[in-house]
Amino acid sequence: MLKKDEILRNLEEIVGKDFASNKLEDLFIYSQDPGASEPRPVDFIVMPKTTEEVQEIMKLANKETIPLVPMGGGLTLSGLIIPVKGGIVVDMKRMDKIIEINELSQYALIEAGVTTGQLLFYLNENYPKLQPPIPDAPPSATIAGNVLIHGSGYLSQKYGDHGAMINGLEVVLPNGDICKLGSCAVSKYWFARGPIPDLIGLFISSFGTMGIITKLSIQLFNKTRFREVVFGLLKDLKDIPNVLLRLTETGLAEDILLGMQDKPDWMKGYIFVIAYVTGESQEEIDSHIKVFKRIYRKSKARYMKTPERIKNAYLEKPIFAAAAADYRKGGGFEYVGANMPLEQIPEAYRRGVEIAKKYGIVPTLGSRLIGGTHNIVMFFSYSFNRADPKDLENARNALHETNKLALELGGIPWKAELVGQQLILEKMDPNYKKLFNAIRSTIDPKGIMNPGNWEV
Amino acid sequence: MTSETYQDWKSIVHRCFRCGYCKFTHDFSDFNCPSYKKFRFETYSTGGRMWLIYGIINGDLQWSQNLSNVLYACTTCGNCTENCRYDKFNEFLVDIIEVARAEAVGKGFCPEKQKILLDRIENSEMNNPYGDTNSNNEDLKKLYNLPDKAEWVYFIGCTSNYRQKNLRDATLRFLKKVNINFTLIDEHCCCSPIIRTGQIKPVKDFMNYNITQIRNAGALKIITSCAGCYRTLKKDWLKFGGEYDFEVYHTTELVKQLLEEDKIKFNSEYDKILTYHDPCHLGRHMGLYEVPREVYKQIPKLKFVEMKRNRENAWCCGAGGGVKIGYPDWSVEISKERLEEAKETGASVISSICPFCKTNLSDANEKFNMDFEVLDLIEILDRLDIEINKKI
Repeated sequence: MLKKDEILRNLEEIVGKDFASNKLEDLFIYSQDPGASEPRPVDFIVMPKTTEEVQEIMKLANKETIPLVPMGGGLTLSGLIIPVKGGIVVDMKRMDKIIEINELSQYALIEAGVTTGQLLFYLNENYPKLQPPIPDAPPSATIAGNVLIHGSGYLSQKYGDHGAMINGLEVVLPNGDICKLGSCAVSKYWFARGPIPDLIGLFISSFGTMGIITKLSIQLFNKTRFREVVFGLLKDLKDIPNVLLRLTETGLAEDILLGMQDKPDWMKGYIFVIAYVTGESQEEIDSHIKVFKRIYRKSKARYMKTPERIKNAYLEKPIFAAAAADYRKGGGFEYVGANMPLEQIPEAYRRGVEIAKKYGIVPTLGSRLIGGTHNIVMFFSYSFNRADPKDLENARNALHETNKLALELGGIPWKAELVGQQLILEKMDPNYKKLFNAIRSTIDPKGIMNPGNWEV
Repeated sequence: MTSETYQDWKSIVHRCFRCGYCKFTHDFSDFNCPSYKKFRFETYSTGGRMWLIYGIINGDLQWSQNLSNVLYACTTCGNCTENCRYDKFNEFLVDIIEVARAEAVGKGFCPEKQKILLDRIENSEMNNPYGDTNSNNEDLKKLYNLPDKAEWVYFIGCTSNYRQKNLRDATLRFLKKVNINFTLIDEHCCCSPIIRTGQIKPVKDFMNYNITQIRNAGALKIITSCAGCYRTLKKDWLKFGGEYDFEVYHTTELVKQLLEEDKIKFNSEYDKILTYHDPCHLGRHMGLYEVPREVYKQIPKLKFVEMKRNRENAWCCGAGGGVKIGYPDWSVEISKERLEEAKETGASVISSICPFCKTNLSDANEKFNMDFEVLDLIEILDRLDIEINKKI
């Protein structure tokens, strides 16, 4: 077993002296995220530049049985990049090359540290007719980090969750093997996921427990010339399913979100329907807006004429969702995202408001459609003041109670923190767990990959 | 600025969510925080620094030299203040870093290299950060036949007076040429270098000394060609309780005013492609973006081209915040990136309105054989035939 200074020296030999650290101040920053998780100790941080460097790090960790935790933008907010059992945080952000944009097969082949802001700008500049699927997260979130947690956001209503948009992965396995998954395993084109046994799913929402992704191919989509947002207002929660079904059956919406919050005061008492329409001309957009207005009228909703300032805020890419993290002016924010069936959405809103009020938090809830009404992601948001222990405790309790609520209503907490993972595991089919554990222990017999996550 | 003042920030430091907007340009075209781009650990983003500072405030962290070094590895360029999205918080980010540096100094953790700035400025033989013997400017007053009292004082600034004398002399010639009634004072450092590096103990004394000198000269207006002095006189001196009633101008503002009032006219041509580098102390810190551009664009035959990152998104030259003295190699690497960006424009001249930017851009130009002419705007004006309209 190597001593700590020997491990650091080994890491420095792999990535260079400037990109491996066990300095106290670096460990402090990487021991926590902006969410409500407790800080947990980190032993080293390393920033590889190439797949080969990742491979060497993996071999070292495997030989010495040191936990490894891969990290993208560090914005899951649920502590997934904070080691549970110490070890090395592998910050992937130096692997930031956009390797290829394929305009015909419409994909981007990128390294795992490419940020959403970087890819968005690159496409806007060089391929203005293409757009990437990006989350409602700050531009420093990485594309890989988003898709590997079943992320969602732009284009999800139309095309599904972002994890489903992965065409291929390059993965470094715990034994140091570099493995290509998807069409790239057979072809020089990273254009599709199959048709071969689909192993990519093993790496999605497994929170870095299977290996480290170094490259990925992500689908791109046509970008229309015009994009507009059409707001509707609902008074009664029970009308939500009907209006969403009516909107999605038109096939005209690029994305659809719902929002409900008690502040500012003018928003209280309403459910906001936020539908995005796209088109190649203003006439086309106007005709789509007419359709949506008609649906709102017939679905007990009211079309809401929106000030430009608010409209522009919703048209910004990425949307400034981090504004919600500043409601308490305290730099703390976490939400339970939960994938839910449409029929439970009204109840999820009703009970979510109750939980927020119980813990003295201004109710701030929302949802996003994924692939029509097949899957709805609910957001139960809890902004808190990091400097106020009571506020933090309230947020933790509210999060825990909300995770339980999501499971009770037949939903599944998304990118769940450790406690949420435990709740999911308690409800999970035993044979699913058995299969998952069997695969995991085959791939990672020493249990070095983000240990503590998805553990019974 | 005392330890008590530092506690005042306690109520806002923890507002940072570490969302990372502070690292980018407005359009996410690139990382625009020199420190994050160099070091890449989250620790070296403004968000990282805010969390470290909060860690000290709430007792999770203790001061150390390593921690202090993180705070000092920042050019205080203000990109974070432009791109942080939290209103009534973003404007204080650089201030918070500077106050934390002051705390580091108080705890004995000022890095050695930056300490030299204070040693030299406090040395009564010098009173400037370069370690040269103080110039009382009497020789210059004689040379340019300047009165003891005048409407304007030209505050030369240490960089122009001791390192970029060409810029100083060009300013003096310009002011004479356009018949400004001005004089010089026996100025001591404005204190920009020590404010930026948290070594604030003597600031009030230096500020009061300079204000007294200006008052004794009977001046109502101060003019400077230095971005650092401009920011310090106009902003920092007020923060440090300075009481004065004179107006502060950057030379460029005077030039623009004279052009607008038809008091001067450029009669000769400057047939070159030129790009302009926004000094952080004038741009992001003071919001002065268009004035210099308007002046450049009035010079006959000058072809003005913009770099990709300009105005609020300008890439820092790398000299500020004590980085030039603390990290000399990295500092010129930052300037190298600016020159590479300038190269893309096809310009042969890179120009700015700050002697410190000029120094660092010139150092990189020389070190990396970039083949630019690095000139301050006032040096370009010095080469022109300027017609003075005596009728007005």
